[in-house]
Amino acid sequence: MLRVEHLTKVYDDGTVALKDVSFEVPDGQFVAVIGLSGSGKSTLLRCINRLIDPTEGEIWWNDTQLSHITGEELRRARRRIGMIFQHFNLVERSTVLTNVLSGRLGYVNPLASILNRFPQEDIERAHANLKRVGIPDKAGNRADELSGGQRQRVGIARALMQEPEMILADEPVASLDPALAHSIMRHLQQINQEDGITVLCSLHFLDLVQQYSTRAIALNGGELVFDGTPEEIDDEKFIQIYGREAERIG
Amino acid sequence: MKEEPGESKNRKRLRNIVIGIAIFLLFAYAVSVTRVNLEEPLEPKRQENLVGLLRELAHPDIFQYETESQSINLSIRMPCPQEVKGSQIESNGRVLLMTPNCASTTQEPITLTGTGYPPNAQGVVAWHPAGATTIRRLSNFRANDDGQFSVTFTMPDIRETEDPQRIEVAEILDRRITGPSDTTIETLQRMLETVLMALMASTLGTILAVPISFLGARNLMENVGSPLAAVMAAIIALPFGAAAGWFIGSGVSYLAESLSSSIILGLGGFVAAVLLLVLAWMLGGRIMGGRSSEIPAWLGWVRVILAASLGFLALAILAQLGLVFGAWLEDILGFFSFVGNFIYVISDFAHVFLPLLIALLGGGMAAAYGSRIGQEFVLNMPEGPARMLTAVLTVIGTALAVFAILYAVNWICLLGICRKLSQETPALYLTLAVPALIVGAIAGLLSLRVPPKRQVATGMATYSVTRTILNVLRAIEPVIMGFVLVIWVGIGPFAGVLALMLHSIADLGKLFSEQVENIDEGPVEAIEATGADKVQMINFAVVPQIVPHYLAFIFYRWDINVRMSTIIGFVGGGGIGLVLFRSTNLTQYRQASVMVIAIAAVVTLLDFVSSKARERII
Repeated sequence: MLRVEHLTKVYDDGTVALKDVSFEVPDGQFVAVIGLSGSGKSTLLRCINRLIDPTEGEIWWNDTQLSHITGEELRRARRRIGMIFQHFNLVERSTVLTNVLSGRLGYVNPLASILNRFPQEDIERAHANLKRVGIPDKAGNRADELSGGQRQRVGIARALMQEPEMILADEPVASLDPALAHSIMRHLQQINQEDGITVLCSLHFLDLVQQYSTRAIALNGGELVFDGTPEEIDDEKFIQIYGREAERIG
Repeated sequence: MKEEPGESKNRKRLRNIVIGIAIFLLFAYAVSVTRVNLEEPLEPKRQENLVGLLRELAHPDIFQYETESQSINLSIRMPCPQEVKGSQIESNGRVLLMTPNCASTTQEPITLTGTGYPPNAQGVVAWHPAGATTIRRLSNFRANDDGQFSVTFTMPDIRETEDPQRIEVAEILDRRITGPSDTTIETLQRMLETVLMALMASTLGTILAVPISFLGARNLMENVGSPLAAVMAAIIALPFGAAAGWFIGSGVSYLAESLSSSIILGLGGFVAAVLLLVLAWMLGGRIMGGRSSEIPAWLGWVRVILAASLGFLALAILAQLGLVFGAWLEDILGFFSFVGNFIYVISDFAHVFLPLLIALLGGGMAAAYGSRIGQEFVLNMPEGPARMLTAVLTVIGTALAVFAILYAVNWICLLGICRKLSQETPALYLTLAVPALIVGAIAGLLSLRVPPKRQVATGMATYSVTRTILNVLRAIEPVIMGFVLVIWVGIGPFAGVLALMLHSIADLGKLFSEQVENIDEGPVEAIEATGADKVQMINFAVVPQIVPHYLAFIFYRWDINVRMSTIIGFVGGGGIGLVLFRSTNLTQYRQASVMVIAIAAVVTLLDFVSSKARERII
């Protein structure tokens, strides 16, 4: 169970990215986070795993106060939260296998990992995860040799290596064409349904939201303006979320 | 409304005129300061000197010739007697006439004519100065088709003697190249020395610049911070850790030394060292293989320290054996004796620096541990006690730091401030401790005003200090560093290597950290999100991104170091600069010419190679 309470984030330059946002996510949900660009979706996801420090408010995950832990405690919490990025954020010059194995960094011995040594079982797990996302033969390739869709699969495999209880996906399909987008979303859906991993996924397209998520929350100008099932987003709610100028497509 | 643009146009014009006058005055002054003048260069004497110099430069002393020559000697008097006249001499059908046959100044021209030579015969006119072993060349000659020549020269120097001095007119009968000249051989040797100096300086510089570059990268240091109490706890813990490390290091060295004092013990020591290494490796392997969460933290630390101590002992024993083995190899290997020397030097380094290294490691570990404890205490305490703890730690920490700084200032007599006390008297410690405690107390009082749990930007402080040191170090010319180092380690290439290394650290440190600042932040974010720590993040997200750029800069730096090491010899730093300086001072321009050509060739070649290498890497 993830609980966000009165979360506010003000950046150093004065931009208010999140304003008093509160919501709860029971385990196993597939939650879509929607809203215009700049509405605070990325900030919200990054506050949860503390890539960004919140200004006010609390974030609780089970018994851990995510918003206030530091150091070793934070690292232990982070390793159970996978993250997938719009621009994949792979290390381009490293091999796919190394990229996937880096998902284990929170678990392995720091000294050994400095020497790029991973336990055999982790290497096997990495191959298994690559197989699961459908690119078992790419382990030895360099990440920059892969296509966009393949890179995002590596990103998913990396997140899976963490044995996560929750995955944060920051617009995972925004840089991909529609066909690839569906294939990536299906992988996330499968992970959500088969492994019971909670997924928080920011998305741009409402059809994807309706097709894959069980719940949607919407941000506008940093404020939570909608929380419900995707089917509940009617024309009036749509204007609340996206503003008057937006036109509903799809 | 219409007047305003006109007015501003006028003001603009006025401004341009003022700027124009200022620039004019600046350059007018610059010409007078730099003493630009055309009178001296146009003097015939100077032009003649220039032509002479250029001719020598254009005639580098590359080959050794075997010449068969036939000489006729003339006498010259210095200074001129009352009556000035010429002298004539005949030998083998050749007739030489020199007027005058004396010289009082270096200005008077002396004319030498020869007849009766074979057509187009060539030769040299040289002077054997009294009391000198070297011969000074005065002129070359070449006879015309009729076997006649006439040359005019001046004496480069006047040596006044009672007896006449010898002028040799050598006709070259036959000339063959028999191999490279001594100059060429020495130039090649020195050039090799120069290139290797640059290689050593670049390598050592790189090794030290890499870790420094991470400290000097804003994006890595920006978010690093810890509570004031943690910083102070680290400062307090550091000297204890360093002292413990030094103690262990000296103990290990002593143990190793006594173990290797005899051959049997030495051989036993060698076996022991190997066993110890294996043991340390296995222990290390156990540590590495295990999951970090499986064993309690303290047990992990004990294992690490145990494995490290065993490793250090093995290293110390190996260093001791290396000293003996290296010296022995140097005796028997002949041409490859440098391998023995290498083992000896490496062992000596390990021997000398091992205690220091362990002390540094101990200090670093203690500081890290102190910082962690301090942080945990302060963060888990109520506000009031945390504030008190912070204040107490600040008093001690600041006092220690100030004491260390004062000690250093006193030692080097910075700005002439030092107490003339012998270094280790209690009186000295007391004079330094009192102000340190006062500053500490003030800092402690001030710290009460700081919220104890607020993060102090230690990262940015480290960043600023690193960058400042790098900038200052970069601003000091390697030639000046060479000058200082020559005094410390003596004239020779080692001083040059050290000077270039220091400059390379500063230069590469800055270039490297700028590369780190330019990396794609995406992977950094991704690796952080997996729960990796800072060191893992650097290893997995930063290092793969910077390696090609670093390699390119290392090549570039090697190239720069070769160029710089040609200069550093001028202050005694070894390499080709040393011999170039010598030959220009002795006006041996034909030798200098060979060296200049060699430098140009090597620099061009390296420039080409390094740019090709950089192209391929990036």
